[in-house]
Amino acid sequence: MKKIGFKARRSMCSLLAGCGLALALAAQALAAAPYYEGKTIQVIVPFPVAGGSDVWIRTIAPYLEKHMAGSPKFTVRNIGGGRAIPGMMEFARKVTSDGLLVLVSSATNYFPVLLGDKAAKYDFGQWKPLLVNPVGGVVYVSPGSGVKRAEDLAKAKDLIYGGISAIGLDMIPLISFELLELDARGGLGFKGRGDARIAFERGETNIDYQTTPAYNAAVVPLIKEGKAIPLMTFGQLDDNGNIVRDPAVPDLPTVPEVYEKIKGKKPSGKFWDTYKIFMPSAFAVQKILWVHRDAPAEALRAFYAASDRLGKDKEFVTKTSKILGGYPLMRGDRLEKTILQAFQIDAQTQRFVREWVGKKYHVKLD
Amino acid sequence: MWDAALIALERFADPLHIGMLMAGVLAGTVIGILPGMGGIASVAILLPFIFKLDVNTAMVLLIGSVAVVHTSDTITSVLIGTPGSAASATTVLDGHPLAKQGQAGRALSAAFLSSLIGGLIGAVFLTLSLPIARPLVLLFGSPELLMLCVLGLSFAGFLTGSQPLKGAMSACLGLLLGSVGAAPTEAVYRYSFDQLYLLDGIPLVGVALGVFGIAEIVDLLAKGGQISERIGLGGGWIQGMKDVMHHWGIVVRGSLIGVWAGILPGIGATAGSWMAYGHVVAMARDRERFGKGDIRGVIGPESANNSVEAGDLIPTLLFSVPGGAPSAILLGALYFYGIQPGPRMVQENLDLVFTIIWGFAFANAIGAGLCLLLSPALARLTWVPFGKLAPAIVVTIFIGAFQSSQDFGDLFVLLGLGIVGWLMKQLGWARAPFLVGFVLSKPTEQYLWLSISRYGAEWLWRPGVIVMGLLLLATIVWIIYGKFKGKQSFDEESTEGPPALGKTASILFTVFILVILTGAAYEAISYPYLGAIFPVAATVPAIFMAVIQVVFDLRAPAVGVGPEARNRTRTAMGYFLSLVLYFFLIWFFGFLIATALFTFLFLYGWVKMPLSRTLSYTACLVGVAALLGWMLGLYWPEGLLGGW
Repeated sequence: MKKIGFKARRSMCSLLAGCGLALALAAQALAAAPYYEGKTIQVIVPFPVAGGSDVWIRTIAPYLEKHMAGSPKFTVRNIGGGRAIPGMMEFARKVTSDGLLVLVSSATNYFPVLLGDKAAKYDFGQWKPLLVNPVGGVVYVSPGSGVKRAEDLAKAKDLIYGGISAIGLDMIPLISFELLELDARGGLGFKGRGDARIAFERGETNIDYQTTPAYNAAVVPLIKEGKAIPLMTFGQLDDNGNIVRDPAVPDLPTVPEVYEKIKGKKPSGKFWDTYKIFMPSAFAVQKILWVHRDAPAEALRAFYAASDRLGKDKEFVTKTSKILGGYPLMRGDRLEKTILQAFQIDAQTQRFVREWVGKKYHVKLD
Repeated sequence: MWDAALIALERFADPLHIGMLMAGVLAGTVIGILPGMGGIASVAILLPFIFKLDVNTAMVLLIGSVAVVHTSDTITSVLIGTPGSAASATTVLDGHPLAKQGQAGRALSAAFLSSLIGGLIGAVFLTLSLPIARPLVLLFGSPELLMLCVLGLSFAGFLTGSQPLKGAMSACLGLLLGSVGAAPTEAVYRYSFDQLYLLDGIPLVGVALGVFGIAEIVDLLAKGGQISERIGLGGGWIQGMKDVMHHWGIVVRGSLIGVWAGILPGIGATAGSWMAYGHVVAMARDRERFGKGDIRGVIGPESANNSVEAGDLIPTLLFSVPGGAPSAILLGALYFYGIQPGPRMVQENLDLVFTIIWGFAFANAIGAGLCLLLSPALARLTWVPFGKLAPAIVVTIFIGAFQSSQDFGDLFVLLGLGIVGWLMKQLGWARAPFLVGFVLSKPTEQYLWLSISRYGAEWLWRPGVIVMGLLLLATIVWIIYGKFKGKQSFDEESTEGPPALGKTASILFTVFILVILTGAAYEAISYPYLGAIFPVAATVPAIFMAVIQVVFDLRAPAVGVGPEARNRTRTAMGYFLSLVLYFFLIWFFGFLIATALFTFLFLYGWVKMPLSRTLSYTACLVGVAALLGWMLGLYWPEGLLGGW
């Protein structure tokens, strides 16, 4: 066999080196292109346009576009109605592991799962949380109710509350009233929290709650005019899963605090178990953005990193604090355990709640 | 307050704002013209574009389109008897007959001028009431709102026509249909039969389009020929304007009714237009022409449905509670900009409020002008043989119905109520009370229950309730008096020529209604107490009425149905079945292919259009339908057999 000459070997070496360098550069270039570069992410919102979840995602989407690696564009698709079930099912059917379809969920989607409502055929276990936004809830009364501080609730008579549905977010205040053993009547059938608030202003109800954005916008002015008295919040969760004061309204006690003040001991019992189980998904992790659980790690990282950057974006923080109540946007990966737990319920409590809404509010669940 | 108004006004000197206003007006006008698409579609289309704009420009764009939707929706109502939006169904009753008599120009110009003035009065009222709006709205408690709803329902009494029993049953059926879905009182879903679609009730758009639109289209197709027999619009335009000037009282009263319908929660644009119409009929000395082409029946509702949008802004901006679906989107947009409507709005963002009001006023003016410009061309469509227009109209109606819930249920509702509406029209069942009952069903029930649960029986003694109760009593007495005197009252224009259906059909239909009512009452008894009251109250009296009506029908003289009429009925059924075929084509092949097939078969096979024309028409229509679907964000389901 002919020996390869020295010159030939040198050129072969340079050729190989050149190829190697080119490959290395190419590999770097490929690796450097962010996953979402030039891509569009579609968001399914299982609620009508301009609802709370819709406003949430439309408000943060432009900032996500700015801060996410690859600057993907966001489009929103609303599928409202049917207790949000058709919207959820559409996502469940269409989502793939490419990370280009995401979902916004809210309390309306979690409660059927907790209540064991067979109509809700979706499975959160198939998805991974990307971003989480807590929401707070504040309870207030009218001066006419005779209640000046939360402790007075125990002696108050004829409290009338206006709600939408016993198996929606109203369940939290209704459970709280049961827990605190208040003389309170829940009147259901309002079209929305806004309508219930107007009824409060008209004097047709004397106890009400609003989520923090609506509270800041519409109730705080009433408080300033002496037409409403803030009492307590439903609380938020700390890192260990304990119910703590709501950072947006730190002066107000939480429901369990009020219980302690009134009864002189820590809360316990079936209604307390229910409260502990339903409150996290109702408020502490209310708004969640989901993606398929097999989405590529890079896609997930893009969202998580953006979330960190958003926390430092002053413009984002100022703007959204008004709309979203001032709670930080949080990374889904850090809250996965909390979320998982928020959707768990023991058989006993589930039976108890189903019986309670059935008997008191005539709700029939499959 | 006035310097804020001036600051806002100055903004309109900026060409960008004028440009955005024009863009909004254009979008709203075009969307409004398409049947079934109202304010919500026009705002939804513009929503993706606002995020790059500042808040004032965005609001100008959005309000520009909301303001004019009720101006341009008159066009299809008048020309083809298909409501451009649910609120404009009222205009169909008198506007369409006018078009058939060759007076389309008069009807349209009267409508546009009334819309313009109505909108402006609404804007003025809105401005003047800003300082006192909040206490004003809060004065109305649930009992007062209940009485208002009942008053609105009573107006339906004026619209029952010459067969009051059937009209009353119509209203009861409307109430019943309106109660489908989540009960306002109990957490019970009524008449949902395990269908997720029915949980939210039947969408208004499908009902309006079906009962008035499909019914009218089938009729027009069966009749053959063009919409209007007479050629020549002539001086109709000037005449229409003169009519508005002459009936200025109706314009003012209609606008005020509309504004209040917008301000008060629960009463929407549709209820407001019907109340305006009912009040016009009630106050009229001579009522014979109503339903057959009385220009007053166009002026009243048209002034009302534009001012409603002005009134809607009060709960939206001052209470952060949307007055209607388009206002909900406006609200969402404001949140996006960090503005929180509510008690502070007037203090902190008064100039923005005025930007919106000025935008509303200007848009009304520009929109009316634009519609007046377009109308001569559009009115000529009444001379085109209807068969040629039909596919385009049918496809648009299907799109309009589908965009309410993006579910096949929407099309079921459309077609189901289409056939019922057609039968009602042939057999002398007034459809106006049906729609009124449908729209007011849930608010009435909600306020009734809230009044009782909050005030016990005391709500009856509230001053506002007593005043309105007296008004209600007066209305009922007036209605009965009118009937007693044999005043030939309002009668919906029935089909032309001899009746198409005879005595047997009439009896069968009444029996069919009786069966439905009985079934509904039976089903209602199984609901928990509070959820059952309303449906039972709506059905039980109607059951008695239906039995009486059957007896009347049996004793009525036999009506000779000539072969020509029988032929017409068969033709009508044939056309209706072609619509059902279209529905199935969509189910199997997806929307675009189905549209292509339907249009082609209809034009080539039925209307016998030449092949090349058919092909280009079909291609155009499919293209436009696809574009419209894309702009509205419609997601037609894939066909069962694949395809799109």
